Amino acid sequence: MSLDETRDSGHHDDHGGIGKYLLVFVCLCLLTGASFFTYSSYWPFHDTPQVGWAFMMAVSCTKAMLVALFFMHLLWEANWKYVLTIPAMFMSLFLVLMLVPDVGMRMNNGFARYSEERLLHTASPAPIEPHHEAEHENEAPGDSETSSGTDGEH
Amino acid sequence: MTDHAHGHSTALQYHPGLPISLGKLIMWLFLSTEIMFFAALIGTYIVIRFGAPAWPTPSEVHLHEPTGAFNTFVLICSSVTIVLALEAARRSQSAAAKGWLLLTLVLGSVFLIVKAFEYRAKFAHGIYPWRPRSKIYEKADIYYVAAVRTRLKETETQLKAAEDPLPEGSNRLDIVQGILKQRVEPVEELISTPRDVLVANGKDPDAGWEAVASLAEQIMPSHHAAPGPESAGAHGEGLNDKYPWLRLPVWIPGGNMWASTYFLLTGFHAMHVLVGLIVFAVLLPMRFTAANAGILENTGLYWHFVDLVWIFLFPLLYLF
Repeated sequence: MSLDETRDSGHHDDHGGIGKYLLVFVCLCLLTGASFFTYSSYWPFHDTPQVGWAFMMAVSCTKAMLVALFFMHLLWEANWKYVLTIPAMFMSLFLVLMLVPDVGMRMNNGFARYSEERLLHTASPAPIEPHHEAEHENEAPGDSETSSGTDGEH
Repeated sequence: MTDHAHGHSTALQYHPGLPISLGKLIMWLFLSTEIMFFAALIGTYIVIRFGAPAWPTPSEVHLHEPTGAFNTFVLICSSVTIVLALEAARRSQSAAAKGWLLLTLVLGSVFLIVKAFEYRAKFAHGIYPWRPRSKIYEKADIYYVAAVRTRLKETETQLKAAEDPLPEGSNRLDIVQGILKQRVEPVEELISTPRDVLVANGKDPDAGWEAVASLAEQIMPSHHAAPGPESAGAHGEGLNDKYPWLRLPVWIPGGNMWASTYFLLTGFHAMHVLVGLIVFAVLLPMRFTAANAGILENTGLYWHFVDLVWIFLFPLLYLF
């Protein structure tokens, strides 16, 4: 263990440095300001929010890289860093992609918010009382959020 | 076990499998599971948010963007202070390391306090995850009007039952009955009128639904205000703002899903912040030297990760 510690600290002496950390800090603050800038009235793309989203994600990824590379010392680590970070990132990416067909595409089918198909074949909860059934018929079948509940609870 | 090798040849020295300490290895293994955990949560949020038929604007759910930006700044500062604590510890400057660690603890607490105030503001506006819903209604329809009436009637009975009226108690009863009479009942009358009768009277056949939407607007305005920078955040005063004790149901399309994802994401993040703060508090009495700086490094790795998650959460929750 003591061997590790000395190797570790000896290894770290040649980089880092308070100046570098403060520079990264300034960059992070500027980038936060940059993503907050999309909220201000000077941001020219308010009518196309996609531009803002892409910009903010780019800024966030840059900030994340700065934090990971400098504050978490990944820049100076040996190759084991790839073993731990890259598979984890791929697995999280696939987790998300698996949700897209089921959750994402069923709910938002392109321009038609609820597709005809979904409206016709949507699942509806089994009626508990006849009173509830009458309620469900009046609502849009796609809106499971409201149709699953009973009213007048508040 | 390396004594023998030491005596004769340095080439046979024992080397660990990885050039890092076991503690750091374990921390990184833990962080890689944390990457998957938060990436799955954030990814699910993105899929749900862009798949949702409706999603509230930040002002509709009373999100204050500058507060979020301030919290981002606080966490970035705390990341720097923990790095400086580690640097001080590596130079065996225990007092300096303690100071930076304490500052990190304070900054983390500031983050949590701001978060608590934000949560309280949400709760006060009836926004919280609940089954089947909190005060949030997805549609301004007949059920919404019924819920408004139920809440008003409930308040009315409570006020009547109260033996000694509050300083403005008598006034409150008038307000409730006034809203019922002047705002709710005309709407109910309009919706219950058949469409052909409305047309025969020279009215718009959809007048009833427009009246419901307008009632919802009176209770919590700025539903359909353009998400411009000037109007965002500052919305007009509605009945719920004017009389906070009324706590009438609000119409926020997509609000229930928003509440679920918001509280899940920020809640898990806040829990991680809390764990970090507890670790800082435990470490604070330690004497930091170059030999035990590793523990500060591992704690720092965790803290930077928490910061990193917030870096993604802030634009996704507050600015998207």
